[in-house]
Amino acid sequence: MNVLPFMIIIPLLGAFATPIVGLAGRRAREAWAVLVSGATLGVAGKVLYDLWSTGKVLVYTLGARSPLGEGGFPIRIVWELDLLSGIMAFTIAFVAFLAIVYSLEYMSHDTGLEKYYTLALILELGMLGIVMTGDLFNFYVFLEIMSIASYALVAFRNDTWEGIEAGIKYMFVGSLASSFILLGIALLYGEYGTLTMAYLAKLMGENFTLTAKIALALLMGGLLFKSGAVPVHMWLADAHPAAPSSISAMLSGLVIKAGGLYVMARIAFSVFGLGVNLKTLGWVIILFACLTLIVGNAMAIVQTDMKRLFAFSSVGQVGYILLGFGIGLAAYGTDVGRVATAGAIYHIVNHALMKALLFMVAGAILHQVGSKNLNELSGLARTMPKTTAALIVGSAAIIGLPPLNGFAGKWLIYESSALFNPFLAAIAIIGTAFCTAAYIRVLYTFLGRPSERVMGAKEPGNAMLVPMFILVVAIIVMGLFPWAISEKVMVPAASMLANIKGYITAVLGGA
Amino acid sequence: MNVIYATLGFLGVYAYVSFASLLWGGIDRKLVARMQRRVGPPLFQPFYDFLKLVSKESIIPRDANRLFELSPVFALAASITLLAYTPLGFEPLFGTKGDVILFVYLLTTIGFLRVLGAVSSGSPYAQLGAQREMIILASREAPMMLGLFTILWRLKELGVTKPFSMGTFYEHNIWELGTPLSLIGTLILLFVFMAWLASEIEVGFFDIPEAETELAEGTMAEYSGRHLALFELANAIKAFVSASLVVVVFFPWGISQYLGLTGLPAMAIELLFHTLKVFVVLFVSMSVFRAVTGRLRITQAVGMFWTRLLPASIVGAILLAIDALGVIV
Repeated sequence: MNVLPFMIIIPLLGAFATPIVGLAGRRAREAWAVLVSGATLGVAGKVLYDLWSTGKVLVYTLGARSPLGEGGFPIRIVWELDLLSGIMAFTIAFVAFLAIVYSLEYMSHDTGLEKYYTLALILELGMLGIVMTGDLFNFYVFLEIMSIASYALVAFRNDTWEGIEAGIKYMFVGSLASSFILLGIALLYGEYGTLTMAYLAKLMGENFTLTAKIALALLMGGLLFKSGAVPVHMWLADAHPAAPSSISAMLSGLVIKAGGLYVMARIAFSVFGLGVNLKTLGWVIILFACLTLIVGNAMAIVQTDMKRLFAFSSVGQVGYILLGFGIGLAAYGTDVGRVATAGAIYHIVNHALMKALLFMVAGAILHQVGSKNLNELSGLARTMPKTTAALIVGSAAIIGLPPLNGFAGKWLIYESSALFNPFLAAIAIIGTAFCTAAYIRVLYTFLGRPSERVMGAKEPGNAMLVPMFILVVAIIVMGLFPWAISEKVMVPAASMLANIKGYITAVLGGA
Repeated sequence: MNVIYATLGFLGVYAYVSFASLLWGGIDRKLVARMQRRVGPPLFQPFYDFLKLVSKESIIPRDANRLFELSPVFALAASITLLAYTPLGFEPLFGTKGDVILFVYLLTTIGFLRVLGAVSSGSPYAQLGAQREMIILASREAPMMLGLFTILWRLKELGVTKPFSMGTFYEHNIWELGTPLSLIGTLILLFVFMAWLASEIEVGFFDIPEAETELAEGTMAEYSGRHLALFELANAIKAFVSASLVVVVFFPWGISQYLGLTGLPAMAIELLFHTLKVFVVLFVSMSVFRAVTGRLRITQAVGMFWTRLLPASIVGAILLAIDALGVIV
């Protein structure tokens, strides 16, 4: 049985049924949300396993057996998944599941929770749709589903000023970015007359026009915004602190990657790969990557608000991923390029885990102590040792210390950037130095002398601790087998991403 | 089977180095005492100290958190792990290509764990010491790493089986090059490494984080009993390992081939000879330096690293690089 459609069906059904199930009471609603996201995780796991074991691009056509109409070109919406999509889908389902379990306790003091779980499931649905789709307009629809759900979730606590402020900021500029993307898609449709990514890629390979270049610029502009790259990162530093922490975990761990980085890689490699000058595109991305690395990490050092610090650190980490993809494009077809792409994919997964963990830690502290100001939180290690242990693991992983998973992903990026251009490696190292400084500062605060404010704090309940410790275990276990994971999963994913022809023929057949 | 032998060897090495490094502590104290016309403690004094500390009650401050108790254990664990990658007259037991980064990482980790332990104690003295240790930690590793990586890169050019591993030094050494330029560069780096060693073991100029008279033991202010014993042992091993690094980079010669030994006896004799070299290096960099110089202020020490040692290291590295390029013959 093809389980692929259930990756959309289950969260969609789950989201739409939540208000009805919610009538049966709070427990039923929570059980339903956990059940739905758990089932989605199961499906995503199966899909990832299928993709990994067969090593083929998986195509699913909506409404018929074959995407091709009588004219011999694709007329239907297709879903097209390669290994990268599978990895993304699994990461999304995994972190979203943990975030929903975490919300059971974390959100228990809020009202309007039937809307919360509906929106959270819709957010997951939007992200899964983005990574699955092989159709450009379909992608836009899922992007908007994801974006609108995240606007609503950022402003979910609408009795706080910061939630509303961040929500408005995010929505205004986010809508602008989305409309750039839509404009780009419209231009492409006007020029080539198709919206199927694979067919579009083929047509572009034959005739790459100025309009396509303009469309690419618009798409990239919109996607850089969605991924929080530097000139357009300001929404992120407001949205992440203002959102409920379970949502920050999803926003920072998943949304910027599914809606921004993944699509950027997909569009750059699979759609425009045959037409555009990959070297130029790669260097443009590298330029933004360097800015993002330095600014994001440097801004993280000066923050006093814990969640803002994590948000800026997310910006900085996006820089590494962009750098990996940028080098993957600029050095397309070489070993260096493949290693860089594999490093970027690896770091996407790693960062999703660690940043979700860190935001959950921040949420637990906010929930228990009621402050996220670092100056007030000194000595928290004494009263919340388990939470602090999770924080230490998360921050050590994000700096990239060897026994944890952050090391291997970053190592691949350092190594490939040093081989590609030593100057870029120096920038990456400077970024890491800033990142280290920022996290050591957090650690210093947490370990110091307990302040009066934290003396009454207690550990959160199991519903919050268990997701955190599942992430800690995932980080440690992934850290123990870095090269096996890299060889068996990440490098094949990078090769599949770089195999543009394979992506096209999977839909068009031999044509 | 290989893993089991390696593990057994590792345990043996650990036992030996613990003994040798504590013994050196006694020798050092004796020598410094003699330099100041004192009789000094008996040679085995560090062992008595260690045993006494182990048997004493360990006091945990009220404001301390769990890391206060855990970090001495982690520090000792890190130093024991470090032994698996330290060349001790023969190639490291678990050596592999690129293990030099692991070596530097573990060496830094021990210092960092001291900082964590001190911060976790909640005592302002310890926190001040920890801040100083952190600053020194960030300053001192740059010149050493530059020098170490330059030399390893230069040796890689000569053709080695495992590039950038600590075992490399037993295949080729830096004096082999023999050109005047490389000789000058190496001597400059030797100076940098000796200064680095003094700061790594915090003696003389660099006795800053502990600063007995000024900061009341600084980082270690709140430690007592078992926990202090663990830290003392970790520090002693660290001193031995740091000196081993200097020995293996600059004086890697062995004696077993002259004696016609192979196999296990060769390893044993090399280990003893290596220990002798380590003691000599530590005598210069630790005992003499400790006896003849006072402490610097933290600003002076940091300034020294960035304005004296790092430039020296850069000059040494550039000289070696020019030599490798073959511009000047």
